[in-house]
Amino acid sequence: MASSRDDFIIAIRSAFLKKSTQQKFSLLTLVFLSIFIIILSSLDLKVIRFLKIGISEVVYRSSFVVSIPENLLKSTVYEISEYSTFFKDYKKTKEELDELKSNSVSSEIIQFENKELKELINDYVSSSNKILAKIIVDHDSPFLKSIIINKGSKDNIKIGTNIYDQAYLVGRVIEVNYKTSRVLLLSDLNSNVPVTIAPQNIQAIITGAGDNFGSIRYIKDSFPENFRDESIAYTSGTGAIFKSGIPIGKIILDDEVTDGKLKVRFYSDFSQLKYVFAEVIVKEEIDSIKKTSNNNENNEIKPIDAKIKILEDELNIFEQTNTKFREENENLKTQINSLNEQISTFEEKITSQKKEINQFDIDKKELKFLRLNLEHGHKCRKSFFNSKGFSVGSKEYKECVLTKGRENG
Amino acid sequence: MAKLTTKGTFSKLYSWFPIILLFISVLNEFDFNYLNLDFFSFNFPFILIFFFTLKDFKHFDFFLVFLAGLINDTVVGLPLGISSLSYTLICIATSYFRNITIRPNLIKDWFYFLLVVCLLNSINFTILNLFFSYNLVLMSYLVNTFFTFIFYIIFVYFFKYYLKGAND
Repeated sequence: MASSRDDFIIAIRSAFLKKSTQQKFSLLTLVFLSIFIIILSSLDLKVIRFLKIGISEVVYRSSFVVSIPENLLKSTVYEISEYSTFFKDYKKTKEELDELKSNSVSSEIIQFENKELKELINDYVSSSNKILAKIIVDHDSPFLKSIIINKGSKDNIKIGTNIYDQAYLVGRVIEVNYKTSRVLLLSDLNSNVPVTIAPQNIQAIITGAGDNFGSIRYIKDSFPENFRDESIAYTSGTGAIFKSGIPIGKIILDDEVTDGKLKVRFYSDFSQLKYVFAEVIVKEEIDSIKKTSNNNENNEIKPIDAKIKILEDELNIFEQTNTKFREENENLKTQINSLNEQISTFEEKITSQKKEINQFDIDKKELKFLRLNLEHGHKCRKSFFNSKGFSVGSKEYKECVLTKGRENG
Repeated sequence: MAKLTTKGTFSKLYSWFPIILLFISVLNEFDFNYLNLDFFSFNFPFILIFFFTLKDFKHFDFFLVFLAGLINDTVVGLPLGISSLSYTLICIATSYFRNITIRPNLIKDWFYFLLVVCLLNSINFTILNLFFSYNLVLMSYLVNTFFTFIFYIIFVYFFKYYLKGAND
């Protein structure tokens, strides 16, 4: 018993401390070093942060280079699958584009109003500028859903910067290096986004579920009954982590997909992201804006002039809106006309088909009569031997044949 | 002479191949995730480190394995040191197993590997969840452990083939 315990201790000691000729460090040293690094990385020291940024910069670039073959393979797989659904996607995109065109008009007005109201409430205007960023590392880890983009503190990216795919939210920055940043995707389990569900106007939190769906949490049990398929979830702006009004995804009520839970299908496919937009927000003091605008114009502008200018701009927007609505009206009229034409064509078709059906019925009856006539005609025909018969062609003869000559035969 | 030099470079590259493969795999996360199979994932570095440290391969430096762990943490976005600790613990486990084994057996190695992977994934999960408050799906870890276990036997075949070439 004692010897087996000794053997165990010897084996363990040897495993921890013995290093072969090639090894520079014993494993025990490396274990302690690892634990030391874990503790250091949990402490938010400035030196460690800079060191981490340096390591991240080098490692992300190296990872990008090493991942080239895999990315090539990945894109080939995607392109093949994409090709098969190309036409379907094209039609869907076209419809979406039409819808977006009409939405952009109203959003222009809202933006203008928003800006005006902000100017009234605050002493600053936050102007956002979206910069294009390339995804350099996207490993789609099963545990953590994050991507690395090629923009960092050099490009004014900060922790919390919102990241978009087109107009849809995909995540926010959680780690900033000098020329790279890590973005936590909405699909990550650690991602929580305050949202508003339209048109029901219900406030909730969307949490990542590790795939292309998000779970809706923190809502009353009775609320889900109000949800419709295709209800839209967009950021509510609560907590000021995300900007308000950014579309995230659509509510899905299909039980096969959701397993009875409330889920949102994200608009963006996070596995297919190649480029994203980072929204850099710059706060400008209104006074300074006014000063610069004054300098530019080289004239003293009175408040009333500024108001007139704003009204003129508003008028311009309304005119543009009107033109667009008119265009849309005309388009709709053309569509109605073409639909009416289609309806009349269909009606004509229906009438001709009805005629054909009637003719077919008549032909069918005639055929039946001829067949029965061949079989039972002799029973109904008036002849020397059949004095009770009828003359061929008469109504009685026809009836007699159709009843297979039973009454008279 | 030139021919000899080329041969020398090639044999050096060949002998350092496992460690190069380890660095490529941590930088690239070689795990077929782009196939988009639900939950499917396996930990290739675990297999690689376990096999070559078990065989006491002379070019498999522990310090380089430790560095690979740091790189893996940076790429995946985990707190620095987690993977290094896991990789070093694999080295310790294999070293212990080598010391107590008189007659090596593939099946025994395989099941010992399962035990080690279960233990390491549990340690990882515990540290990330308790100390760093990460939300993680336990199912992903279980499936990852299962596939890593299954894939071990497949990769061992290739690695043995490689070792045979390296010994020749």
